[in-house]
Amino acid sequence: MSPHHPNPSSLKSRFTTRFLRALTKINAQNPISSSSPREILQRFRRIKVAADKSMAYSVRSRRTWSRAMRWKLRSRSWRQASSVRRLKITTSCHQAIMKKTAHERENKTTTGEGVGFGVQTDELRELVPGGEAMDLCNLLDETAHYIKCLTTQVQVMRKIVDFYSP
Amino acid sequence: MQPCSREMQTMNSLLNPTQQIPLQDLQNNGNSNGHQQIQNPQFDPTSSHDDFLEQMLSALPSCSWSDLKSPWDPAKADETGGANLDNNVGFHYDEILASKLRQHQINGGGGSSPATAAMKMMMQQQMMLAGRAAAAAASGGGGGGGGGLTMPLSLGSSAAGSHQNDIVDGSSFKSPNHQGGEGSVQALFNSFGAGSLHGTNPSSNQPQHFHHPQGGTMQQAQNFGAPAGTVMNQSQASGSTGVTPAQPKQRVRARRGQATDPHSIAERLRRERIAERMKALQELVPNANKTDKASMLDEIIDYVKFLQLQVKVLSMSRLGGAAAVAPLVADMPSEGGGDCIQTSANGGSLPRNSNGNQTSSTNDSLTVTEQQVAKLMEEDMGSAMQYLQGKGLCLMPISLATAISTATCHSRNPMINNGNANNGGNHPLLQSTGEGPSSPSMSVLTVQSATIGNGVVDGSVKDAASVSKP
Repeated sequence: MSPHHPNPSSLKSRFTTRFLRALTKINAQNPISSSSPREILQRFRRIKVAADKSMAYSVRSRRTWSRAMRWKLRSRSWRQASSVRRLKITTSCHQAIMKKTAHERENKTTTGEGVGFGVQTDELRELVPGGEAMDLCNLLDETAHYIKCLTTQVQVMRKIVDFYSP
Repeated sequence: MQPCSREMQTMNSLLNPTQQIPLQDLQNNGNSNGHQQIQNPQFDPTSSHDDFLEQMLSALPSCSWSDLKSPWDPAKADETGGANLDNNVGFHYDEILASKLRQHQINGGGGSSPATAAMKMMMQQQMMLAGRAAAAAASGGGGGGGGGLTMPLSLGSSAAGSHQNDIVDGSSFKSPNHQGGEGSVQALFNSFGAGSLHGTNPSSNQPQHFHHPQGGTMQQAQNFGAPAGTVMNQSQASGSTGVTPAQPKQRVRARRGQATDPHSIAERLRRERIAERMKALQELVPNANKTDKASMLDEIIDYVKFLQLQVKVLSMSRLGGAAAVAPLVADMPSEGGGDCIQTSANGGSLPRNSNGNQTSSTNDSLTVTEQQVAKLMEEDMGSAMQYLQGKGLCLMPISLATAISTATCHSRNPMINNGNANNGGNHPLLQSTGEGPSSPSMSVLTVQSATIGNGVVDGSVKDAASVSKP
């Protein structure tokens, strides 16, 4: 299986480049020899974040879930930077967004889904980032795209793992 | 809106399906107006209808029929045509008969012209009475005046063709001159005017139009199964759904069984879009053989969860195992993530007996690892898990392993002979990596997975990768 992605500008290749870049950066910062459990977890988290971030960015905000994920990552990084001012901004933005989504949710429920999936729909909303603010139709759309991106992510990561583990 | 008497309405309801049709046919076949002919092709009854109508005709006293027809030559032909329509509503024979009889009686067997004229007058009066409001509204479109005559005139003249088209559409009951609410009025006409209405051209236009819409509705809506009452109900219902009593009734005549108001149409559209999306998702998600939408959604949710888990696991493995970056590949070996994980998970009680990072291992190490793990499990499941994780493996519930194997790798099937044995569940995993504990217990497994924080399908994922991608 060739490691080359046929389409240079496909989602896969974009994600791969970004991800590898992020990984190298992480590894450079944090040499693998560190053995403290916390650091390991931290590293894990960072890697996960890097993966998510690179994925979200490679999708280029065309999708709702990528926007939501970006926003989340950004807000999280802001929070970690622990700048009070930034935190306030973040929270205010967050509140605004939450209000908006709540409002949308009201609208959504009032218009009625008409399909009666209730519980499962809510579950799906939780799974897909940014899914709270969408009606069922868009939610399904976003889910499809999200699944596609997740599979891409998994494939790339696996390939990397295989590549680096003899 | 329709002050027409109840009996008229009932008659209409009875007669509508049949009356209208024959009338339309009559009109169609009739040559008195080009309109009729225009209408003809659209409603065309088959020749079979003729037989029926002829039967009906024969059933009635011939004199009256001849009277009816006399003012209007094509009347007979129309009636034969009408029979065609009648066939569509075959079970309304009785009603047709009754109506025709009544018409006959109304005609009084007198001279055709006077009878028909009288009939017409009556009809017009009825129309004016019943459909005054509707007529007014309708006439808005048709420009008809207060009288029924004016309406039919306008009907006949202006929009006959358009009427026909509208009617022929089938889905829309658009008679600008003819308000849906006038269904009853039409029925009235139908009942009375089987032949009599055709007395004069202009007046015949009227019934034509009324009948046509009705007939059109009948035919194209294909409500043959529904008696005229249905038609009446529909017309009235559509009228009620409309904004005004008169106009909306003609606005949209949806197919039978479907709502006409915009809300339900939007709802329908929405449902269709959702169905499309579901179908697209079905292709993405494996095991998409479910036809039920709810179970499909469950499947989708599980798959998304699984994918997210996979990503998490992969990143964890990278962290602890094969390692993130090229430059460090050589450095990976003994120390590293595996140990880290072990220590992190349990304070490092686990001895480092193996090269944690190397997921692939030879058979030697396999057995060694197995023994190790088995030993560990006896004493402390946590450490066993850590050990496994260090090696880039993990214990997982069989269900999850099955899910992963089916989802990711076909070739893994032989490996994952999970069956129901915990052993089986673990062995394939480890075997794929080259190692495997002998007999973990499922309960411990799940507990451990919970404690370790992610359960993780670390090794299995990797294994899947390594196996599926030779």
